Amino acid sequence: MKLPVICPEKECCCGKKGCTPGEGLPKIILIGNPNVGKSSLFNALSGSYTLVSNYPGTSVEIAHGKARIGEREYEIIDTPGMYSLLPVSEEERVSQLLLFEEKPLVYLHVVDARNLRRMLSFTLQLLEAGLPLILVLNMMDEAEERRIEIDISELSQSLGIPVVGTVSSEEKGIDELKAAISEYTSRNNTQKFRQKLDYGTEIEPYIETIESLLGPAKEVGISKRAISLLLLQEDQTALEYLCKAEKKPECGREDLEKSSEEIRKLAEAASKKSEVPLSYLLTLKRQECVNGIVGQVMTMPEGTEKNSGKAGKIGTEAEKGTEKEENYTCAAQEKTKSGPAKNRAGKIEERKKQKGNIDLSEKIDNILIHPVLGIPVLFLVLYFGLYLFVGVFAAGTVVDFLENTVFGGYVNPLVTAKFMSLVPYPALQDLFVGEYGIFTQAVTYAIALILPIVGAFFLVFSIIEDTGYLPRLSLLLDGMFKKIGLSGRAVIPMVLGFGCSTMATVVTRTLETKRERIIANILLALAIPCSAQLGIILSILSGNPESLLIWSIVIILEFILIGFLASRVLPGEAPTFILEMPPLRKPKLSNILVKTYSRMHWYFLEVLPLFVLASVLIWIGKLTGLFALALKIIEYPTVWIGLPPDAADVFLFGFFRRDFGAAGLYGMHDSGLLTGVQLLVAAITLTLFMPCIAQFMMTIKERGFKTALAISGFIFPFAFFTGFIVNNLLKLLGVNL
Amino acid sequence: MVNKNSRLALKTITLCAMEPKKTGKIDHLETKNPGILQKLIAMGILPGMPITLLRRSPSYLFEVDQTRYAVDREIANHIYVSY
Repeated sequence: MKLPVICPEKECCCGKKGCTPGEGLPKIILIGNPNVGKSSLFNALSGSYTLVSNYPGTSVEIAHGKARIGEREYEIIDTPGMYSLLPVSEEERVSQLLLFEEKPLVYLHVVDARNLRRMLSFTLQLLEAGLPLILVLNMMDEAEERRIEIDISELSQSLGIPVVGTVSSEEKGIDELKAAISEYTSRNNTQKFRQKLDYGTEIEPYIETIESLLGPAKEVGISKRAISLLLLQEDQTALEYLCKAEKKPECGREDLEKSSEEIRKLAEAASKKSEVPLSYLLTLKRQECVNGIVGQVMTMPEGTEKNSGKAGKIGTEAEKGTEKEENYTCAAQEKTKSGPAKNRAGKIEERKKQKGNIDLSEKIDNILIHPVLGIPVLFLVLYFGLYLFVGVFAAGTVVDFLENTVFGGYVNPLVTAKFMSLVPYPALQDLFVGEYGIFTQAVTYAIALILPIVGAFFLVFSIIEDTGYLPRLSLLLDGMFKKIGLSGRAVIPMVLGFGCSTMATVVTRTLETKRERIIANILLALAIPCSAQLGIILSILSGNPESLLIWSIVIILEFILIGFLASRVLPGEAPTFILEMPPLRKPKLSNILVKTYSRMHWYFLEVLPLFVLASVLIWIGKLTGLFALALKIIEYPTVWIGLPPDAADVFLFGFFRRDFGAAGLYGMHDSGLLTGVQLLVAAITLTLFMPCIAQFMMTIKERGFKTALAISGFIFPFAFFTGFIVNNLLKLLGVNL
Repeated sequence: MVNKNSRLALKTITLCAMEPKKTGKIDHLETKNPGILQKLIAMGILPGMPITLLRRSPSYLFEVDQTRYAVDREIANHIYVSY
């Protein structure tokens, strides 16, 4: 993954061919586990904003921006979270590729200070890879809350790299970090620190052999030793890289085949010899070293300290016999530290308060994930957040005011009159201010109808996200989601789908298996109504609680039924669920507002062009008669499900945007053209209908054209089929709504 | 026999069989699925680490060192704990 070059001001080569990465701005790349505050650090450094969130896997794309530190400008890059150099998920592979291909000034490895023991292993891997590195201990405040003390200067000494402590959410320590970066720049680091970690006599020979085989290969960002280790673990990216690098003319094909064959044999032999998977063995070796370092620089409160002390011993015991001799870097660090137990007396008062805070959040946490109590809490969140705030307030009150009073009463008549007098051509008048005109329909709907609803949803979503409720919801619902072939992780795209299916389709990327991604995609396209549509449907049906109840039951049943069937039909293994649970956090208002804003911004940019496109297409369709033809065709299934032929309009609009269609339904309902049953059937069919052009495009992008076509080929007929069943069932039962 | 040596009194069972609120050590990980194993060790769930099971339902929630994890039964079955 090569990123475009950003050149320094004044020195810019202005996109000429010679604009190579070396001549661009010096790069700073943030890497680290998910949920350690990389994105918020990115914002603190660059001043611009990307989404920061409490849920693993929200930065699905690489964000980059400029930062000015001291006199110099830098390009700063945020990457999706990764746990180690050996990737497990698609997102991690993105980050890994970046490490292979970029040559930045410095990497900032961001870790959660509390979890130094767990994350330092990755730091060692990065050092092993010979990367220029600054270690950032983030969330120092949370570590302090738990009375964990870290001796930063000693850590820096034993690693041989700069270490900085920060609290990125409060911008603490950022100046120190900037200073460290500046110093790094001026030092003009040519000699990179290399920590030699000895993997023992069983493995070292293999590493050396592979390293020597790599001889003719091109230099990349990371060291040959690190590549050799990856190759030993049969990492896909490293293998691919090897093939690519050796396709150069000067080394013949035979050489390539010979060496990759040899490497494969070596990897096999090594893993056979070690009896356990090599990655397991290597990680244990690294952890041994980490335990040594952590034991020296970190002190924990009494209770936990005991535990971790024992753990260290048992950790070495667990590998009995694998290697007797201590490796030399770590042996030096085995001496025990004479504890920095100072500075404690004055902090007792403060700590009591902190302990109180932890206890309270513990209590709340226990309710949120309680198998019984958790469910009513979920319904409360849905009722207040989704129904009352988004449905009743935003989609009802706000939309009513904006659409009827502001736009219907003042703006539209004014614009229409002005336009009519300025442009005398009826065809153009129709395009801009006609019934489906760009201004009267596209812009009005986008601003007066969609924006307030989506904005309200994103506000609620951002609050929920920042508290850390989403991973808890994943835990709560994992068991139920398993029945429909998804893991608890899929909760996030599903909840987001209630806001915008298009955005949620992008987020399905964070799911682990292809099978899971397809099932989630189908369910998003079929049964999850987006906020714009949901808001309108709620307000149409809210006059009749029975209709609303039937609608919900039908949609929920569809969701379960199709998920269940899809999980039976689609090949592949059942998903497994493993998720890190971040602590509950009090959301910060500024963070929520900026986040809501940037999501609305994204949505608006995505939506408005499509609305305009829809208006233009309808206009062309009307001029050429295609629109009338399409309406005629859709009239058949429309009548078939018991609706008046006029309702075909709604479905045709529904194809352009689902919420657009819902708005059409709103219009028909207002003019009293539909009976209660018809309204219900139309609402159900429209909810199940393929969402919108944008979602369809995104499905193509994420899943490929064939899959996207297959999904829509299933959904269109199925939506009408369900409408048909519901209509006839209601008729049969003689229900009147 | 078991009581003769206190070290033998340590029993090794899967996380699934562990009682909630108990603290033990991760003894080893055992799985035929390399993906799961890789994921677990990458996330820092390693032998020798102290582990506390917090709840078993709706999913398994446990604490290793300073971090909490939620896993399903399938994965909990691969984590062997001694205490």
